[in-house]
Amino acid sequence: MKRLGALLASLLLAGSLTACGGAAAQEMQSVQVFAMDTVMGLQACGGETEAALAAAEDEIYRLDEALSRTREDSAVSRLNSAAAGTPVDVGEELHDLIARALDFSAATDGAFDITLAPVSSAWGFTEDVYRVPEDAELAALLACVGAEHVHLEEGTAVSLDQGTRIDLGAIAKGYASDRMAAIYQEHGITHGIVDLGGNTWVCGGNLEGEPWQIGIQDPARPAGSLAGILEASDAFAVTSGGYQRYFEENGQVYHHIIDPATGRPAESGLTSVTVVADGTAGNGTMCDALSTALFVMGEDRALELWRSGVYDFDLILVTEDGRLLATAGIADRFRPDDSAGYAYEVVS
Amino acid sequence: MKSSPKLRPNGWDALAAAVVLALAVVCGALFWTGGEKAGPLTAVVSADGEPVDRVVLADLSGPEERTYTSNGYTLRVAFGPGSAQVTVSDCPTQDCVHTGEITRGGQSIVCLPARIVVQLEGGAAADGGVDLVIG
Amino acid sequence: MKLTTRQLTLCAVLTAMALALSYLENFFPLSLAIPIPGIKLGLANIVTLFALYALGPGQALLILLARCLLGAVFAGNMNALIFSLLGGVTAMGVMIALSRLKRLSVYGVSVGGAAAHNCGQVAAAVLTLGNTAPLYYLPVLLGVSLFTGALTGLIAACLFRALAHTRLWEA
Repeated sequence: MKRLGALLASLLLAGSLTACGGAAAQEMQSVQVFAMDTVMGLQACGGETEAALAAAEDEIYRLDEALSRTREDSAVSRLNSAAAGTPVDVGEELHDLIARALDFSAATDGAFDITLAPVSSAWGFTEDVYRVPEDAELAALLACVGAEHVHLEEGTAVSLDQGTRIDLGAIAKGYASDRMAAIYQEHGITHGIVDLGGNTWVCGGNLEGEPWQIGIQDPARPAGSLAGILEASDAFAVTSGGYQRYFEENGQVYHHIIDPATGRPAESGLTSVTVVADGTAGNGTMCDALSTALFVMGEDRALELWRSGVYDFDLILVTEDGRLLATAGIADRFRPDDSAGYAYEVVS
Repeated sequence: MKSSPKLRPNGWDALAAAVVLALAVVCGALFWTGGEKAGPLTAVVSADGEPVDRVVLADLSGPEERTYTSNGYTLRVAFGPGSAQVTVSDCPTQDCVHTGEITRGGQSIVCLPARIVVQLEGGAAADGGVDLVIG
Repeated sequence: MKLTTRQLTLCAVLTAMALALSYLENFFPLSLAIPIPGIKLGLANIVTLFALYALGPGQALLILLARCLLGAVFAGNMNALIFSLLGGVTAMGVMIALSRLKRLSVYGVSVGGAAAHNCGQVAAAVLTLGNTAPLYYLPVLLGVSLFTGALTGLIAACLFRALAHTRLWEA
């Protein structure tokens, strides 16, 4: 009887120890990573938190190198420097990513384009030395721009036409967010926020069991002022806007989202596009590609693609003429910020 | 000196435990008051992910400028009683200068070329309680 | 202090056991359950507690000092010495005082010692870091010491029962 009592007591003690630990461990851990030309914030709680964050950080660095256009030894660089028409084996991961990019180009009538890099460079957006290129220079560069200049060859090989260069910058962060989601899930993370410089994935809601509150930046006001707040528990969300990176010359503002049709900063009447999709694997890449493409396409064509159902996503749009639009699928989870002064409409 | 100890817990042990518990509660009340988030508005400057400076903005009476150098670039940051702003930077992108003034907890200024982040913590509830801002 | 060969041997054996328990503790990392730097079960405290009653405060202190010093040498970490010494000596002081109160059982003395140990460690952290941030952990550590103290008390009580017939220390 005495021994039974002692056993019971020690079991109780052990039980209370773990219970206490469970409560105390409920704290978000975070890391900050500089990669892919942006600052990334990763937060996680539950499961093997530390292992997950370490693996996530390593994966970001790996992708930063693997998808880089500026590192000479990356598969992207080998493809870009190969002679025109030569199939280059780029490996399965990159091959699949390029194949998806070509699909997005087809679905957006070329508004999304991974061959646009030489044009962006001409504007100085990749080298951070801004300038306004001459029309003739842009025309020459545009001749080599277009998904039709990228060819998927046998196996995991890809070839490019003369003068064409690819840059996966417009989907690299989205693809990275998909990888982050996979790593979090492998490590049993129950609550997480992955913010890869505007490419966001959230899971599990906050520690109080409520959905995460994602603020959507107001493109017209200083950083931190919101156009509205989106509630999400498991979702990808990506915002693209001309206000994110721009320069001024002779009183004219030139932003970084180039329209592949003209080679100049897109003038579509939109100031910000946020693409939201559920946490299904692969949606991070989709949101990243579509946010850029839909900014270029403008309100009407963006909503047309949304209605077509080709891809499953929702939209929050801010227009130059002061309107804020949310598509019906997320209208019940989106609260516009009154102080932003936009005319709010729900689109169906 | 040697003594044979009592081996069964009794009321006095409970009293000792209660004293320790009371001590824990008192310490909690002393050190945890307010919690971390509700502290005064503070700017945390980090370079390459490592915190390098903390400025309690609520304590400032007037403007104060400090310079930070990291990754080969130098930023001049102006702190005020309730704000922080990068006034001058020799970085190529100038995104940090474009960001302008930040005034509420949760906001941040990022300079990628210099790998410097100025982040505000504490103060009144930030952004109506959002967990992150995108765009 | 003059020690008989028998006492010296007993002290040496107990020191070795305390070191072994400190090592054994690494396999039950309490810090995984409660993410606070330096949090431990404090199994070596069983030896301190046992020595205190069986051999008296003088030899108990001797064992403690030897354990801290050797532990730091084995770990190759002199920084940890400040932590274990400050924690250990504070705990020892409190346990000597509490054991004189004849009304308290092993459990009460053990809980008091565990709490004092944590206070000492936090003090060491504040001193070495020059920052009061570690105080933030103190309430949790004190709460945890209720459980770890009771656990070491329980083990020590079992030990005393098991060894009661040996009259090990009455020679």
